[in-house]
Amino acid sequence: MQFKTALHALCDAQVEFVVIGGVSATLHGSARVTLDLDIFYSRVPANLKRVVAALAPFHPKPRDFPSGLPFIWDDATLRNSSVLTLQTDIGKIDLLAEVAGLGGWNDVNEQAITVTIFDRNIRTLDLPSLIASKRAAGRPKDLEALPELESILESEKQ
Amino acid sequence: MTPEQLKLAEDRLRNPAPGSRIEAAKKYGIDLTLIITQLRLTPTERAEILESASEAVEQMLGIARRRR
Repeated sequence: MQFKTALHALCDAQVEFVVIGGVSATLHGSARVTLDLDIFYSRVPANLKRVVAALAPFHPKPRDFPSGLPFIWDDATLRNSSVLTLQTDIGKIDLLAEVAGLGGWNDVNEQAITVTIFDRNIRTLDLPSLIASKRAAGRPKDLEALPELESILESEKQ
Repeated sequence: MTPEQLKLAEDRLRNPAPGSRIEAAKKYGIDLTLIITQLRLTPTERAEILESASEAVEQMLGIARRRR
């Protein structure tokens, strides 16, 4: 997964987004490897157009989408899907309009912090919110991440 | 994280307090030394390592799929 290319594209297109999931965990100090980029984004119409423009060069298609069937990558597609799990030329990118346990864009953005990586300022969940989202998601892979994340949080307590 | 904060975090991870989340994670099987290594890095360094590691895993998965 070419995280740097994807994040540069989103930032340079002025997309309003927050990095969540495994990449957020990495930024907080997790040693686990993730193979996809989870992006939570604002659903205002102008931002949908920016997401579409940012990712279009990488030919996004839903993962497991039957080959040969047409897929239209536009803001209407985004507007009609609260979760899109995409395969792109640069790797797997998941676009989410809701985060379990955290709510909508305003709630999530309020709980995000700014981190500078790859020469860009990226918004990502703060560690307590990331832990809350993993716990609320409740899938085995999310729950398995909790002991490490909770250790990091505890180690950093003042 | 300041050097003092990092030192405190490392101390906590090397010597988990009884009953702490860190102790529970160690018992669960989490390699706490990997966390210490990660905390010493900048976010950019962490992201660069993740990118390299994910590409290596994807290559291995591709090789494994082709061999099936």
